[in-house]
Amino acid sequence: MPRPNTATPLERRYAMLGVFLIAPTVLVFCAVIVYPLFSAIYLSLFQIFTPTLQGSFVGLENYQRLLQRPEFWTSLRNTLIWTVGTLTLQIICGVGMALVLHQNIWFRSIARSLILFPYFVSTVVAVLVWRWLFNDLYGILNHLMMSMGLIDWPIDFLGSSPNAMISVILVGAWKYFPFVVIAVLARLQTIPEPLYEAAKIDGAGPIARFFDVTLPQLREVLVVIILLRAIWDFKEFDLIFLLTGGGPLISTQTLPLLVYKEAFALNQMGMASAYAVVMMAIMLVFMVVYVLKTRNKD
Amino acid sequence: MTRRILFNLFAWSIVLAVAFPLFWMVVTSIKPQIELFRRPPTILPETVTFDHYLRLLRETNFLIYFRNSVVLSVATTVTVVSIATLGAYSLVRFRYRGRESLAFLVLFTYLLPSVVLIIPLYLMLVNMGLSNSIFSLVIAYTTFALPYALWLLRSFMAGIPEDLESAALVDGASRMEAFRDIILPQLLPGIISTALFTFILSWNEYLFALVLINSDNARPLTTGVMNMLVSSFNIEWSLLMAASVMMSVPLIIVFAFLQSYLTRGFGAGGVKG
Repeated sequence: MPRPNTATPLERRYAMLGVFLIAPTVLVFCAVIVYPLFSAIYLSLFQIFTPTLQGSFVGLENYQRLLQRPEFWTSLRNTLIWTVGTLTLQIICGVGMALVLHQNIWFRSIARSLILFPYFVSTVVAVLVWRWLFNDLYGILNHLMMSMGLIDWPIDFLGSSPNAMISVILVGAWKYFPFVVIAVLARLQTIPEPLYEAAKIDGAGPIARFFDVTLPQLREVLVVIILLRAIWDFKEFDLIFLLTGGGPLISTQTLPLLVYKEAFALNQMGMASAYAVVMMAIMLVFMVVYVLKTRNKD
Repeated sequence: MTRRILFNLFAWSIVLAVAFPLFWMVVTSIKPQIELFRRPPTILPETVTFDHYLRLLRETNFLIYFRNSVVLSVATTVTVVSIATLGAYSLVRFRYRGRESLAFLVLFTYLLPSVVLIIPLYLMLVNMGLSNSIFSLVIAYTTFALPYALWLLRSFMAGIPEDLESAALVDGASRMEAFRDIILPQLLPGIISTALFTFILSWNEYLFALVLINSDNARPLTTGVMNMLVSSFNIEWSLLMAASVMMSVPLIIVFAFLQSYLTRGFGAGGVKG
C-alpha cells in the first residue's frame, strides 16, 4: 500500500516513472478492451441493424427474447457438450501422452515436437487437413476403416447429426491436447524420485504408484489446466465455425457461433451483444475461479 | 529389453498417429492430381510434383495474403512486445496506487473471449474509417496479444533478481539506465519467446480477420486460404494442402531453430488457445 505522507522524494519520483511506463498499456487497454467491453453491454440494450447501424433503445427486451428462444438453449447445450466432451478427451489423452513421453523413449525430443505441432499449427490449416481426411469420397479415414472391415459404407463425418458433434470434439481434442501434455510433462519432471522409491519398497506396482504418487502430485496443476482449457474451449469459435459452420442445421452451433451469426449474418447487432453478454456471464464464474486460483500462488 | 522395445514401438505408433494428419497434408500437396483420386490411395506418392506450389504462387492471391500476414504479424509483435515490456517492468518493479488491480485486469482480459469484443470493435473501427486495412487488424490483435504478452513478460521479469538492479542504482545509474543495461539483457530470452508466441498468435488468428477485412489487398493468409476453398467450384485438395504447408513454413522454422525459447515461454504461462 502506498503511504504518500512518508514517501521520500525519490520514492515518489519512482512511482511517477512507474505510472509513466504503464501509461501506454493503460491507454491501449482502455481503448481496445475496457471501452468495447462496456460498449457491448450498452449495445445489448438496443436493436441495431448492422448495415445501417441505425437502432432504437429496447431496454432488457433482447434478454427477455433470447431466454425464450429455443435456439439459445440448443446453442448453450451444444457449447456444454462440446466443452465437456473435448476437455475430457484432452485431459485423458494429455496425461496419458505426458506419462509416455516422460519415459526414456527413442528420439524423445523429436517425439515431443511432433506431438506439439497440432497445437501451434493454425486452426485454418488443421481444419483443411481434417476436412480432407474426413472427405467421404477420397478421404483416407473412410478408406482405412473400410479396408479394415470396420464399416461397409463411407461415414458422413461432418454432415449428419450426432457424427458432426463427435467429429468436432475429436478434432478439438487432437488440436488442443498437446497443451495438457506440455503442462503435465513439466510438472512430472519435478516430482521427487524418492517418493517412487518409497512406494516401490512398500510393494506398490506401476498402477498403484500412478494413483498414490503421480496423481496426487499432479492434482494442483490439473485443476489449473482444466479451468484454463474449459474457459478457452467454451469460447472456441474458429475450429467449429470452419469445420461445420454450426451445421447440420444448428446441431454443432455453439454460443460464439450464435453471436457471430446474429451480428453478421442476421444483422442484429443488439441481439448479438445480448448473446455475447450472457455468454460472458456464464464464463465469468470460471474466469473468477481461475484468477483466484492463480493469484493465490503469487 | 523386449519390454523396452515394445514400449518404444507403442509410444512411437501413438506419436505417429497424432502426427499423421500433418504427414498426409505434405503427401497430398506433392501428389499429382490423378494419383490423388486413385483407389486404394498410395501412402507415399509414386510421382512427386511441385506443380501445386507453382500454381499457388502464380495463379492465386497467395503471395499477397502471405505478404499481408507477414506485415500484420510483425507489426503486431513489435507494437505489443514494446508496450508490454515497459508495462511489465512497471508492474513488477514499481509501487503505486492501482498496480494490483491493473495486474488483476491483465489476467482477466487474458481469458476474455474475442467474440464479446468483436461487435463494439467492429463498430469502432468502421466509425473511424479504418476497416478493411491491415492497421485495423493490428489494433484488433492487441486485444488478445497485449494481455497475453504482459502476463508472460511479467513472470519473466519477476524471475530476474532485484539485487543486480539495486547495485546499478547504488553505483549512480538512473532507473532507465539500469533498465537498459541490467534488465533488458537479462530479459532478452523472455522477450524473444514472448515475441515468438505473439507472432504465432497473430499469424493464426481468424475471427477478427473474417469480420474486419473483405478486400483481398488486406486479407491475411487465414481468411485468404479459406476463401480459396469456398470460392472454387471443384475443391482442389492438393492446392489447399500446398497452401496449408506454405502457411505452416514460418512455424516450422520457429520450431526448428528456437525450440528452447518456445519451451521457456510455455513454462512461463502456457499459450493462449
